[in-house]
Amino acid sequence: MAEINIYHLYPEHLNLYGDRGNIIALCRRAGWHGLPFNLVPVHPGDRIDFTRCDLLFMGGGQDYEQKMVAGDLKERRGELLDAVEKGMVLLAICGSYQLLGHYYTTSQGERIPGLGILDLYTEAGRKRMIGNIVTRSTLWDPPRTLAGFENHAGRTYLGSSVKPLGEVIYGHGNNGEDKTEGAVYNNVIGTYLHGALLPKNPWLTDYLLQKAVAYRNQQFAFKTLDESMELQAHRAAVQLTRSPWHKLRSSRF
Amino acid sequence: MPHAETVAGRDSGKSRSLKHLGGVWVGKTIAGLTRITGRGGTTLPGRTALKFAPDILSYLGRQLAHGSLVVTGTNGKTTTAHLLTGILREAGYLCVHNQSGSNLSWGVVSSLISASTWGASLPANIGVMEVDEGAFPFVAGELQPRGAVVTNIYRDQLDRFGEIDYIQKKIKSGLDALPAESFQVLNADDPSLAGLPGDRSGTTWYYGLELELPPDRFQNTARDIKSCPRCHHRLHYDRVYFAHLGHYRCPRCDFSRPEPDVVLVDRSVREDGQTVLKLRLQGDPLELAYPLLGTYNLYNALAAVTCARALNVPLEAITAALAAATPSFGRMERFTMEGRTLVMALVKNPVGANEVLRTLMERRGQIHLLIAINDKIADGTDISWLWDVDFEQLASSGERLAPVVVSGQRAWDMAVRLKYAGIDPGSIITAENSRQAILRALELTPPGEILFIMPTYTAMFDLRRTLNAMGVGRPYWEGSANG
Repeated sequence: MAEINIYHLYPEHLNLYGDRGNIIALCRRAGWHGLPFNLVPVHPGDRIDFTRCDLLFMGGGQDYEQKMVAGDLKERRGELLDAVEKGMVLLAICGSYQLLGHYYTTSQGERIPGLGILDLYTEAGRKRMIGNIVTRSTLWDPPRTLAGFENHAGRTYLGSSVKPLGEVIYGHGNNGEDKTEGAVYNNVIGTYLHGALLPKNPWLTDYLLQKAVAYRNQQFAFKTLDESMELQAHRAAVQLTRSPWHKLRSSRF
Repeated sequence: MPHAETVAGRDSGKSRSLKHLGGVWVGKTIAGLTRITGRGGTTLPGRTALKFAPDILSYLGRQLAHGSLVVTGTNGKTTTAHLLTGILREAGYLCVHNQSGSNLSWGVVSSLISASTWGASLPANIGVMEVDEGAFPFVAGELQPRGAVVTNIYRDQLDRFGEIDYIQKKIKSGLDALPAESFQVLNADDPSLAGLPGDRSGTTWYYGLELELPPDRFQNTARDIKSCPRCHHRLHYDRVYFAHLGHYRCPRCDFSRPEPDVVLVDRSVREDGQTVLKLRLQGDPLELAYPLLGTYNLYNALAAVTCARALNVPLEAITAALAAATPSFGRMERFTMEGRTLVMALVKNPVGANEVLRTLMERRGQIHLLIAINDKIADGTDISWLWDVDFEQLASSGERLAPVVVSGQRAWDMAVRLKYAGIDPGSIITAENSRQAILRALELTPPGEILFIMPTYTAMFDLRRTLNAMGVGRPYWEGSANG
């Protein structure tokens, strides 16, 4: 029987904008599929057991909390990179997504080194990019949409060894210029989407669970779940951005 | 007449100019027009008046012989301002107060204009202004209040403000904009406020809880501040009341909860069902009856009492006003409809929503619930905070929970939230509009029972309009309770 270990990094510190909704979604759907799982919260000072972790989740944090994570993970960079190369699943949102890149340049021009797991870098921008966002992702064939909410000042630029998670249909995305959103490398997904991201995009939740099962060559038959409610919420979020009033309404702040 | 001395330097509007008169006229006219169209606008009149006379706020404020008080903070400012107004009126003041939560800078202007005569004079001698954190520096600078009350800082509308550190900076710059001789009233139990006074010259009054409460089941979520504001070390809590409010100290530096001037030491329920609070005001005991429910309302009472004490209001006025306190606009406000009681409890952030859930789950019997979520600017365009609310608690009440009706622009997001909280999707009913939501929820609530309504800000206005059309409640621009 298959079983997966989900590690939740700093549940108390990395939880901006309802990111814990992603953990709720992973656990609920694993349960509905009948897939046994262990949820392991990782607190500052705890050591992640990379020999056991199948799926690591890192939510967004405020500046100070993000720095704390950077400090803790820097020492474990080798092990993390090793696991990522072998196919460990990692979902990183917003500040944690930026942290996985090469560096972050602050508005004062200071360059803060990242973990260098993903081939990308981020520069501080003057205006925060805030609002509903819809992207089209080729993780699936045919492509599927992802809907969420972005709120970031950093502009992220992708290098050649990562692929964007999606193409921006509505919103700003990585940098507001090149229409890319997020990044994918092996089974690592970095993204700016809050919302929370996973509940309204259940196909991404299942994608992560499937990859986590496959990571240690386990076999498991996933069920077809009734996701009509999730689909309605997804459609409503997409529909909202199509309204002619939407841009006007959301451009005020 | 009032017991506080008249603030020196306040004139009664001698320097009135055509500009101020014009500002008031424009504002009053627009307010009248929006009322005729059935939408009691609280934004446009003030906005236009500010364009016309940018110093209109300071001009109107100068007319208040006893000055004004400003109440800000994430949660509880409406109720605190409402309680304070009640106390001041009881003490004989003529109090002007912005109602119906119009607390952005133009909302404050709108309400002063609507209270003013066409001759641009205010028939009042003291002002109590509820002010949004973002508008606090502007209003404090313009109004030059005698005192400011800050209730707490939580995660709220982050889409608008960016991050919580930013809110803290706004509060700090608002306090810095206060006149040198003014006082500030702060919640001692909130570590994000305790460090704020810095080197301000005015007097600081602290209030806090020192009583035993049942442990907070929700305490592991939605806690924003856990690290020391000075050295960033994780704070140690001897007691947590809710969210990050409690008795804290930093194990590394000397930062700790300040000794409060006004303390709540006991809460008990009398035989007639009335709640009695035991306070210590700078060491002296005070007992008072207080009808509002919920831990957060204990903090609101303390904030209002502390501010009243800073103003030297007699104790009799304080006890009389608190005993007669009624819920303010949309804060557990009650209506009656077809034999059912409707309780309207505005929700806007996880901490507030968790407190509402806690209060309704403490009751016995069936839980009937209508949740309405909008994502307009006044609601906060980011609805991700729904995932920080412990709706899981609702799911755990099992049989007690009747089917939940959800409505609003983001009804489906709310439905998904409930499904993932563990509520059977068959017991989640999505309604297309306010009218259907109310009718469906009434159908599911047997006569004699209570229907709890948890709307976001603009969803509450939609529901009230619908309820008004059904003959329930008063038009919302008339405010509530003592309006």
